[in-house]
Amino acid sequence: MKYRLFAIIFILLFLAWNTLNGLIEGDWGRLEGGFENLSVFFSESMWPPNWSVLEARSYPVCESDIEFFCSVGYIGMMETIKIAFVATILGFIGALFFSSLAARNLVPLYVAIPVRILLSATRSLPSLIWAILFVIVIGFGPLSGVLAMTFYTVGYLGKLQYETFEGMANDSLEASRAMGLSRSSILLNVVIPENSNHLLSQLMFMFEYNVRHGTVIGIVGAGGIGYYISTYLKFLQYEKVFALLILIFVVVVIIDLLSMMVRSFVNDEGDVRRPTWLNFILSPKDE
Amino acid sequence: MADSILSLKNLSVGYDEPLITNINVEVFPGEIIAILGPSGIGKTTLIRTISGLVRPLSGSFELKVEKRGGLGYIPQRLGLVRHATVAHNVSLGARTRIEFSLNMWKERSERTMDALRMLGIAEKSNEPVRRLSGGQQRRVATARTLAQKPQLMLADEFLGELDHSNVEIVFKAVQTLVENGTAVIMVEHHEDNAQLFATRIWNIKDDTLEDFSLEQWNNRSHGGEEE
Repeated sequence: MKYRLFAIIFILLFLAWNTLNGLIEGDWGRLEGGFENLSVFFSESMWPPNWSVLEARSYPVCESDIEFFCSVGYIGMMETIKIAFVATILGFIGALFFSSLAARNLVPLYVAIPVRILLSATRSLPSLIWAILFVIVIGFGPLSGVLAMTFYTVGYLGKLQYETFEGMANDSLEASRAMGLSRSSILLNVVIPENSNHLLSQLMFMFEYNVRHGTVIGIVGAGGIGYYISTYLKFLQYEKVFALLILIFVVVVIIDLLSMMVRSFVNDEGDVRRPTWLNFILSPKDE
Repeated sequence: MADSILSLKNLSVGYDEPLITNINVEVFPGEIIAILGPSGIGKTTLIRTISGLVRPLSGSFELKVEKRGGLGYIPQRLGLVRHATVAHNVSLGARTRIEFSLNMWKERSERTMDALRMLGIAEKSNEPVRRLSGGQQRRVATARTLAQKPQLMLADEFLGELDHSNVEIVFKAVQTLVENGTAVIMVEHHEDNAQLFATRIWNIKDDTLEDFSLEQWNNRSHGGEEE
């Protein structure tokens, strides 16, 4: 069994190597000096990070006592978090609606298939492309970002949700159907409560994902910290870009820890419990 | 005699191959019917067909109950929402109607509480179902049907695994439904339970359903013992 596993890994690695070789047409020379270029770029252009991004901007005049609240880093990051928050909530509700129409155990196949195609189509465009589309349609700003991420969230969460619904035990569905509960009642009173643990986990994951992607969509003008990153890139202020990237990293780690904390209130069996400090670092399963 | 609430006409049930064929029986309000027979012979398939979850292979059946809430069904695995509370599960039985007014909502709450009290699980009402023992979960499933007050109750081995005291509690609740005209069809593995509670026995033998009154069944059993 162990040898078979090694053999499979070896074959997969060989296939990947071969495919990559085909893609770059055997020109491995490109890699030569790559690390040297990177270290020169990093030491001369990005290091040290310019923390002025956490100081108050010169214009508009800061009205807060704490300078940090008027900084590019704070304003951009907060806008990104707000965009991600609104998009996750709206997307989650939208996804629940569509996933309940896409799960084969909840609706007939002739309803499920078109809804699945719709969800795939929504998901096949990355949030960046959605952002470009909405910037074209409604202009620059956070609204484009919210709409872009909402659409992507519906497609992505919708798939996770309908797969969760399809995996649930059938007996509760059969009993409620035989009893004559309406479709909406089955969804609200049977399907959602039975899968609440998974749904909560997916919601937190999506928020974290949207915060990360919120930084990218800002680059095309859909609001958030990405807008400032894109501006600094244009003016070759890489040390400021690096400072903002560190800020994003810190925020993503904090959100990840918060997400773990929220999920640790609910254990595998769905019981609510008080998390220990260890849960902030390790997920409940790893205890 | 009252009109039948269920009539099966030349009904054959099964999945790909027929398991029970040519069933011709009628069920009347207030009857308790126990389906007996060895495992895998089609007892569950028969009640799943009556509940509308499986298509009949041939023949037909007429179910004269209200579309919403007229049929109560307790599957073998009980069909409970494991992550929801006991009260939520029991109230599902009373949710079959669309609630337009506060009075209907109050009535649902009352029906739920009455059923919880009757089955002796009122103090567990806020606990998630999965934390209960198997016997308590069966009581929750029965309370759900009690809150529903269906015209026909289908139950698949819901007395199985219950100790004597639990069987009595559950059956007392079923009896209140029967007194109000509910007919009960239950799959049973224990002939003792069937003889204690049923008024009729459907015995599945080979691919045939034999319909007995309890008296006929008892006489047949005694006759069998004497032979």
